[in-house]
Amino acid sequence: MSSILVYVATQDGKIKRSSLEVLSYCKRLSEENGLSLEAAVLDADPARFTDKIASYGPSKIYAVKNPAFSNHLASALLEGLSSLISKINPRLLACASTESVKEVIGALGARHNAGVIPDVASFAIQNGSVNAERPVMSAKVLSKTSSSSDLVLVSVRSGSYDAVESPAETTVETIEFDFETAALKSLLKEVISSAGDKVDLSEAEVVVAAGRGIKDEQGRKLIEDLADSLGAAVGASRAVTESGLFPATLQIGQTGKVVSPQLYFAVGISGAIQHVAGMANSKVIVAINKDADAPIFQYATYGLVGDLFKILPLLTEQIRTYKAS
Amino acid sequence: MEDKFDCIIIGGGIAGLSAAMTLARNNAKFLLIERGEFSGAKNVSGGVLWGEGLSKLVPEYWNDEDAGFERYINHRRLTFMDGDSTFSIDFKSESFNEQPYKGIIVLRSKFDNWLSEKVMEAIEESDYADESFLAPNILVEEVLMDGGKAVGIRAGEEKFYADSIIIAEGVNNLLTRQVGLQNKYVPADALAVGVKEIIRYDQKVLEDRFQLNGLSGMSNEFIGTATQGVEGGGFLYTNKDTISFGLVLSMISLRDSGLKPYDILNEFKAHPVLKDTLKGGEVIEYSAHAVSTGDMKVMPKEIYSDGVLVAGEAANLLMNSGKAIQGMDYAMHSGILAAETIVEAKTKKDFSAGTLKNYRTKLEDSFVLKDMKNFQGAVDFLHSKQMFQTVPGLVCDFGKQFFSIKNEPTPKTREMLSKSVKKHSSYWELLKLGLKGARSL
Amino acid sequence: MKFSVCIKQVPDVSAPLTIKDGNLSQDTDRMVLDAYSASAVEEALVLTDKHGGDVEVVLVGPDKAKETIRKALAMGAATGVHIVVENTSGLDSAAFAEILAAWHKKSDYDVILTGKQSQDTDAGLTGGMLAWKLGLPYAANAVGLTYDEAASAIVVKRQGDSGQEMVELKTPCLVTCSNDMNDPRIPSLKGIMQSKRKKVETVQLSDLGLELDALSGTVSQTQVHGFKEVPGREPGKKFEGDAEELVSNLMNLLENEAKVL
Ligand SMILES: Cc1cc2nc3c(=O)[nH]c(=O)nc-3n(C[C@H](O)[C@H](O)[C@H](O)COP(=O)(O)OP(=O)(O)OC[C@H]3O[C@@H](n4cnc5c(N)ncnc54)[C@H](O)[C@@H]3O)c2cc1C
Ligand SMILES: Cc1cc2nc3c(=O)[nH]c(=O)nc-3n(C[C@H](O)[C@H](O)[C@H](O)COP(=O)(O)OP(=O)(O)OC[C@H]3O[C@@H](n4cnc5c(N)ncnc54)[C@H](O)[C@@H]3O)c2cc1C
Ligand SMILES: Nc1ncnc2c1ncn2[C@@H]1O[C@H](COP(=O)(O)O)[C@@H](O)[C@H]1O
Repeated sequence: MSSILVYVATQDGKIKRSSLEVLSYCKRLSEENGLSLEAAVLDADPARFTDKIASYGPSKIYAVKNPAFSNHLASALLEGLSSLISKINPRLLACASTESVKEVIGALGARHNAGVIPDVASFAIQNGSVNAERPVMSAKVLSKTSSSSDLVLVSVRSGSYDAVESPAETTVETIEFDFETAALKSLLKEVISSAGDKVDLSEAEVVVAAGRGIKDEQGRKLIEDLADSLGAAVGASRAVTESGLFPATLQIGQTGKVVSPQLYFAVGISGAIQHVAGMANSKVIVAINKDADAPIFQYATYGLVGDLFKILPLLTEQIRTYKAS
Repeated sequence: MEDKFDCIIIGGGIAGLSAAMTLARNNAKFLLIERGEFSGAKNVSGGVLWGEGLSKLVPEYWNDEDAGFERYINHRRLTFMDGDSTFSIDFKSESFNEQPYKGIIVLRSKFDNWLSEKVMEAIEESDYADESFLAPNILVEEVLMDGGKAVGIRAGEEKFYADSIIIAEGVNNLLTRQVGLQNKYVPADALAVGVKEIIRYDQKVLEDRFQLNGLSGMSNEFIGTATQGVEGGGFLYTNKDTISFGLVLSMISLRDSGLKPYDILNEFKAHPVLKDTLKGGEVIEYSAHAVSTGDMKVMPKEIYSDGVLVAGEAANLLMNSGKAIQGMDYAMHSGILAAETIVEAKTKKDFSAGTLKNYRTKLEDSFVLKDMKNFQGAVDFLHSKQMFQTVPGLVCDFGKQFFSIKNEPTPKTREMLSKSVKKHSSYWELLKLGLKGARSL
Repeated sequence: MKFSVCIKQVPDVSAPLTIKDGNLSQDTDRMVLDAYSASAVEEALVLTDKHGGDVEVVLVGPDKAKETIRKALAMGAATGVHIVVENTSGLDSAAFAEILAAWHKKSDYDVILTGKQSQDTDAGLTGGMLAWKLGLPYAANAVGLTYDEAASAIVVKRQGDSGQEMVELKTPCLVTCSNDMNDPRIPSLKGIMQSKRKKVETVQLSDLGLELDALSGTVSQTQVHGFKEVPGREPGKKFEGDAEELVSNLMNLLENEAKVL
């Protein structure tokens, strides 16, 4: 009852930065509230992550091991987290709001009779209840939501907190997890990764996002060139993923991914609220749009009013020169 | 034709909804088609719904928990303006607090939607609860004719039939032209463009600034530099915690000026006196919409024919007298009269022009056509160049002299007037103007 | 095959919105069919067109929400179920899932569809909670659905963390739908007319053995205490000019001011 458990998500052999953001914040939260901080990593080979996790200062790491965890299988994650909850009985389970977490957190909450506060922008523990602020109404406003249930599950939007290392004495408990896939009524048949996914979008430090303004193949090429010169991940608005110019996995926004890079380029994107919901946590936002009144300029650190077809080639060239020197 | 209706109404604006309400109350089987996602989605008015008409359509609407209006009017102001001054005629009366209200301020997206809900309730209570419909999000592309008689409508691939059609499509009356009641080509001088912003304030600030009390509200019309010399005028109406603020500009005059409506609006807002009135607000919406100038010369040739009636602004029923625009009350009343005519035709089982002609008669006998005829002169007068250029300048100039105290011998009021007149016009011009004005009122 | 689609009525989030004393207020009080629920309805209609079967929509909400059920019926759903709860303000996703679970325990279905989240709360919990309560296999955030008749299974294309995942679910099952899955159809005139003759079953909480007090008091485990503005970003710099000028300005700022290159 006296611990905060942080689920640390991994993907393709890497810890998700957003998980470390949560872990880092929970370190502070645990100290302020006299709770212990524990972390859990569920993977085919969890041992490879424990050192890194330890540097964020949990007193204990549960390294839960089963090959199924590396297979994107929701039921495996659900069962794994569920058994940890039963074992540890934490006050609070916190995790980054990844797609996998979004898929299981409702069922997990129902199963353990927990209060679930999903997709929060911030949270704290006050007088025994968990208080959070989360975007609602198409991310137009924040709602103040709380739960005073014995167990509360919170998922946190990426970029809400900074990941700061703060090592402490850590013990690791390895758990060989038993998970029977044979009886499952759901079966993961295939994972289609798109070619655009060279750099993981949700974790990228630099993102170049394309909007309807890129129009066609030629515009797409300009975006890819710019991303290439910056070593950036490519993202897109719904208008573009819908048109098929970029795959749906690259959609950023309310129904797509939430990103929080250091540098975000919004190219030919008008700045609809549903798109902004997915990128407003970016540190520096550069907007390129020919319409001086486009709403995106309200969010941009640097706004360039002009034609992307003229600006991008020059920009890419200058970045290449800069990087070369 | 199991689905044949007594009437199909095209357009779910004020005219269409008022007709629908009347049909539902009289147990007619009808279909109302609105192209917007919902009634009011794209409709724009300043907007004051003048008169007591609504209380007849929706009795005691003010007791409705969520009645679709913002405020009622008990304070009216008419402002003349030049470059740096304003001169207002201001009238406020406690007697206007009584219900039924003499005018209510509405936001169309909310008001039309509310009214459509009221119509749905009326349908539920009618004999045709399951056979009368409000159908949003559908565009009527054609009125189907058979031997010169309107018999139905086509929307996309779908066709529906009825004994009668009420066209309530608003100012862009394409279908009225299609059925031949209006010339295909309507001259541009029959049209104006309205631009409007909704500006939000803290409700307390708004109430203090405009001396509002409870649901009371103010209407303010503007004549003069508001429009940068373009023929037209401005308006300001107080909503609950926003104001509707905008201009109505003659299309021709606007074209000749080469100015953009939005720029004129910004200049209007920047006027030194208005700047203070408006300060601290946040613009939350901008819209533009065509509006008729209410000139009787461009009314449809006729507003009824075999199986079809035209109501509201589609029939050019609107009056812009400078002290008010009356389009919504005219739309409401004509919608009601059109529906009443259909109900009579249904009883007589005769939807020919002969019966439907009664609509014209009713309209002639009502305030709608009476006022439009009587005040045609006033409207022409208002749209004359003197009215939006010379007069405001003269009035403000007089104001500057009359209200300034200079510690030197003060001229008599008459001398001040004559000085202003000399500056802005000749006596002869003014006399002509005065005569013209007096004749038209 | 019978689809049961859970649909929610939500405020029109595109209408201007302000916060007054911590409460939300909107100029229009217009309520609409949740966009994610609408995509779920659309998908069910497409699949039943192809493979046969019926679509039933289920809504928990006040009397006035009936027009939202009519909208789904006008789109083409065959029947509607209206579980009437006049005041839903104290209910969270857990409570809606509890009510929907109680209903589905007494009704028959092969596939339950929900939206992946709702446009008003953006919670994204009801589907998973409902699946758990009914013991159904499920998948979330679907962007495509097909039915494998031979295997009696729904094949879900879902948006995962690293790419799209194809998941096969044996019926009965539950899927939560993204609005990226399709464009919901606009009801035709015929659809609108037929909708009034379609059956809408009205169900009270007591018919399901539930009580509102318990649902808001103990089943709901979260409470909303009010709303606040999203903190705005610091106003930035906006440049106009020719492309060369714009780019060199930007390079300079990225390098020397923001220091992010
Ligand atoms: C429930 C729901 C969920 C949604 N979820 C998402 C989501 O997750 N992500 C998302 O992105 N959207 C989402 N949307 C859609 C969203 O509302 C917008 O429609 C979408 O973001 C618009 O994309 P865009 O900005 O690329 O296109 P547009 O709005 O069409 O903007 C194109 C811009 O390009 C500019 N432009 C054109 N040519 C040039 C040029 N040559 N040079 C420079 N600029 C140019 C134009 O000025 C314009 O501003 C959602 C909508 C709904 C209803
Ligand atoms: C800026 C501005 C300020 C104004 N201020 C005032 C004021 O203060 N007071 C006042 O009384 N009046 C005012 N008016 C005028 C008033 O708005 C109109 O006179 C009034 O709206 C006319 O009502 P209506 O029902 O005839 O037409 P509308 O309100 O225009 O309704 C017509 C409806 O028909 C629908 N429609 C059109 N074609 C089709 C089709 N083919 N198929 C299906 N549906 C169709 C439209 O979507 C619309 O909903 C103002 C107008 C403007 C532009
Ligand atoms: N009151 C309700 N009635 C019917 N379905 C609902 C209701 N609330 C939520 N749902 C369904 O659950 C989905 C996600 O809900 P939420 O957990 O609120 O984000 C919605 O898109 C609906 O499909």
